[in-house]
Amino acid sequence: MSTPNKTFFETAIDRIYQEDSFSPKMYAQVRLSKAYMEKFYIEKIQLDDIAKTAFLSRFHYVRVFQRMYGVTPRAYLRDIRVLKAKKLLKKGEPITAVCFGVGYDSLPTFSSVFKKCTGYTPKDYQRINKAI
Amino acid sequence: MLKIYVTSVPVDDQEKALAFYTKVLGFIKKKEVPLGEYKWLTVVAADEQSGVELLLEPMAFEPAKLYQQSLKEAGIPWTSFAVDNIEQEFERLKKLGVEFSMAPKEAGTVKIAVLDDTCGNYIQLMQQL
Repeated sequence: MSTPNKTFFETAIDRIYQEDSFSPKMYAQVRLSKAYMEKFYIEKIQLDDIAKTAFLSRFHYVRVFQRMYGVTPRAYLRDIRVLKAKKLLKKGEPITAVCFGVGYDSLPTFSSVFKKCTGYTPKDYQRINKAI
Repeated sequence: MLKIYVTSVPVDDQEKALAFYTKVLGFIKKKEVPLGEYKWLTVVAADEQSGVELLLEPMAFEPAKLYQQSLKEAGIPWTSFAVDNIEQEFERLKKLGVEFSMAPKEAGTVKIAVLDDTCGNYIQLMQQL
């Protein structure tokens, strides 16, 4: 059961978000773009396309997204792709198929990004997880 | 490369905590290593069993008890766990008798709720929106 009186923590949360510079509408718009990336990460997504889904200009969108989520849209999309790639590699999917399957069209780029994010090349990551 | 492999919540009773964190919250026991009068006792998320472990750490240091108690009195969560659907989790846990100090509420890019872990802490649940 929820308690009728708000805790110090809940009161602080309420105050912070009442003073928030973004409107609920702006949050909803940016969420649309986030959902777009989560749905279409397999495809070649351009920043302009993502910004359009949030009804914002490209420049304004990047600033707003980063203020809200703490990362750039580009980094957010990269993280989705790496997370999906890890799952596919664990399943034993061929590395090239994983690369294209998560939206990269270049194996060297995919391998480089994957290693930067996980510390392992896709090949090593797959080998380690197979060994386990 | 340094990696985060464990984080912890202080608990007043490890066995009671293990029961709550596994049977109620749904974590899986990972390690149980006897250490003197206590244990190195960790749990993991069911779908990330090789991921970061949560150490159910015995609260045996007196000054730290005051810190824990002060956070609890202010309703400040010790830590935060991610959920896919906070409303569903809220309903599921309420049916199991879990007490919440804060029902799910939207806060910017997240929806959060705060529950009592019965071991001396409030814990925040978070769904990213």
